[in-house]
Amino acid sequence: MDRILIIEDDAETAAAVAQIVTGLGCEAVVVGTLPHGIAASAGQFRVIVLDRMLPGGDGVDAMARIRAGGSAALILVLSALGRAANRVEGLEKGADDYLPKPFEPAELQARLRALLRRGSMQVLDNDLLAFGELEIRLKARTVHVKHSHVAVSPKEFELITYFARNAGQVVTRMQLLENVWNLHFDPQTNVVDVHVGRLRRKLEQAGSQAIQTARGEGYVFAPLSGAM
Amino acid sequence: MSNGPFKARVTLRLAAGVALAVTLLSLVGMGVQYRLVEARLLAGAQQVLRADLDGFAALYEQRRIIALRQAIAYRAASGAEMLLLMDRNGTVLAGTETAWPKGLATSGDSFAIEGATRFSARGSVWLGVARVLPGGFPLLVARSLDQVEATLAALRRGIVGLTLALLAAGAGVGILAARGVMGRIGRINALADRVAAGELEARLPGARSHDEFGLLESHVHAMLDRIQNLNRATHRLSDTIAHELRTPLNRMLQKLAQIEGQEPVTDALRSEMRQAIRVFDSLLDISRAEADQGSGGGLVPVDLSAVAAEVWELYEPLAEDKGLHAQAQIEPGLLVLGDRNLIAQMLSNLLDNATKYCAAGDGLTLTLARAGDSHLMRIADTGPGLPADLREAAFERFVRAERDRGITGHGLGLALVRAIAARHGARLTRPVAEKGFVLEILWPKVAGAG
Repeated sequence: MDRILIIEDDAETAAAVAQIVTGLGCEAVVVGTLPHGIAASAGQFRVIVLDRMLPGGDGVDAMARIRAGGSAALILVLSALGRAANRVEGLEKGADDYLPKPFEPAELQARLRALLRRGSMQVLDNDLLAFGELEIRLKARTVHVKHSHVAVSPKEFELITYFARNAGQVVTRMQLLENVWNLHFDPQTNVVDVHVGRLRRKLEQAGSQAIQTARGEGYVFAPLSGAM
Repeated sequence: MSNGPFKARVTLRLAAGVALAVTLLSLVGMGVQYRLVEARLLAGAQQVLRADLDGFAALYEQRRIIALRQAIAYRAASGAEMLLLMDRNGTVLAGTETAWPKGLATSGDSFAIEGATRFSARGSVWLGVARVLPGGFPLLVARSLDQVEATLAALRRGIVGLTLALLAAGAGVGILAARGVMGRIGRINALADRVAAGELEARLPGARSHDEFGLLESHVHAMLDRIQNLNRATHRLSDTIAHELRTPLNRMLQKLAQIEGQEPVTDALRSEMRQAIRVFDSLLDISRAEADQGSGGGLVPVDLSAVAAEVWELYEPLAEDKGLHAQAQIEPGLLVLGDRNLIAQMLSNLLDNATKYCAAGDGLTLTLARAGDSHLMRIADTGPGLPADLREAAFERFVRAERDRGITGHGLGLALVRAIAARHGARLTRPVAEKGFVLEILWPKVAGAG
């Protein structure tokens, strides 16, 4: 069973995170202070969920020490310091993901899943991502459905490859904005929806229902289910 | 600003004042001395003349003109005196002169020193007595004042030289003092400039000296420490607010997730909470950007063209879907010192506004081009524009037009735009437009780059 370390001083938040972790089929280990967390991180963990304003210091500053302790875990910073500048700072200092509080349980779930997948993903030695009749060629940057070419814009191509790498999982709008556009703030309008909508229509016209809406959460790339 | 010694006007004036006072006092002192010396020398010359006269008087007492004539003829050979004895017809009986000096009047007939006069003859100045002895014999006995004059002239030259030397020394000391003062003040001025430019942690290196400048530096440092502490407190406060507000909000959100069967209510609550977070995030972003204004800290070279293109690309489909005629002209490769995320946020706010307020058929353009020493970013739409009653107030926090009550928003978008522009040293202008909202942003170029 995969283990996830939760370094969080707020008991209620820790319990909520632990519940999500258990829901993902992982074992949750909770510690309440930074020194304890650093000590515990030496154990085998797939992911570390790290708070920032902890008794004993700032989690982001401790990441280097966690890494130095030999931990290969991916780090997700979960913090009340949630402004764009804080997020960029956390990512620049080596966090693998950064989720501001308050967070939607579904959002944390999607991100933890993405991290767990990233940890186990096989290195692709060819440039083809194939999902039944949908094929993505990374070098040529082309998308084909049922052997016919689907013209996508460069951004749409990045969008579909991000979806493909997280196939079968819920991907949230925030994740898309962060990973595809590299923007770390919350735009007032759901601009991402418009882009996903366009890509989705192109795929549907070619006969693929690969992108589906996960109500209230985001999108799921599920090319092999449903109509396919 | 140069720190040349001539900028230290006050010090120079003070030094000039001191130099002048010293010079004047010295002049008075030397003047008094001069008078004293002059009087003594003249008295000496008179003494000699009196001795001469006494001698001649004694001879005259014994044998009258005959003896006088013999004595004068005998002494005339020696040179340093002027002697002349004539008869009533003006014939020279004896003496150093061949004729009576021009313009010299005679007075009395005694051998007394009283009434001795100064006169010029033979290119020298003389002190002498001119008499007509009983029987009409004009007599002139005079001593040269050349020695006296030469001594006094030397004294005068000394006085002039000393005065000039004093003035030069005063000017020299003044300039040296001014240079020293300007050097010390220049350090403090340079420090103030650095702090004004945003470098709040700047301090003068080394120990403070135990003088008035050291005292000034200590006070300036104390003031800067205070400012820096306040600034730090602002930063800490925003972190604390974030923590203290987000943690309870987080608990609420977790509990919301446990409510089942009332999705419309919980969704609405979630969206309200997200809105609340957006408001205080924007407020914190604005105050942080304002606190960091002018400080280069945290800014790195950013490809403004690339950021503009990316954000435009993010919003273009939205604008098209709304039926706007959207067009961007972005000159590639324009660099600024900036924070990519803040610039993106600013542009996103502006494009968001445009798509929100414009109606189908309106135009929306974004242009970015070189403009002399800066990069000109222009965002223009043909929508309703800012209402006349709002104008500049639109850039203040929480200001929204009465007209826009129906449109969601919290009135912080333009305030954040202004704060982010200020953070980057960019200048906002709103050119007059026939219709719609037009905003121009002048970004300073990265020094040494295109």
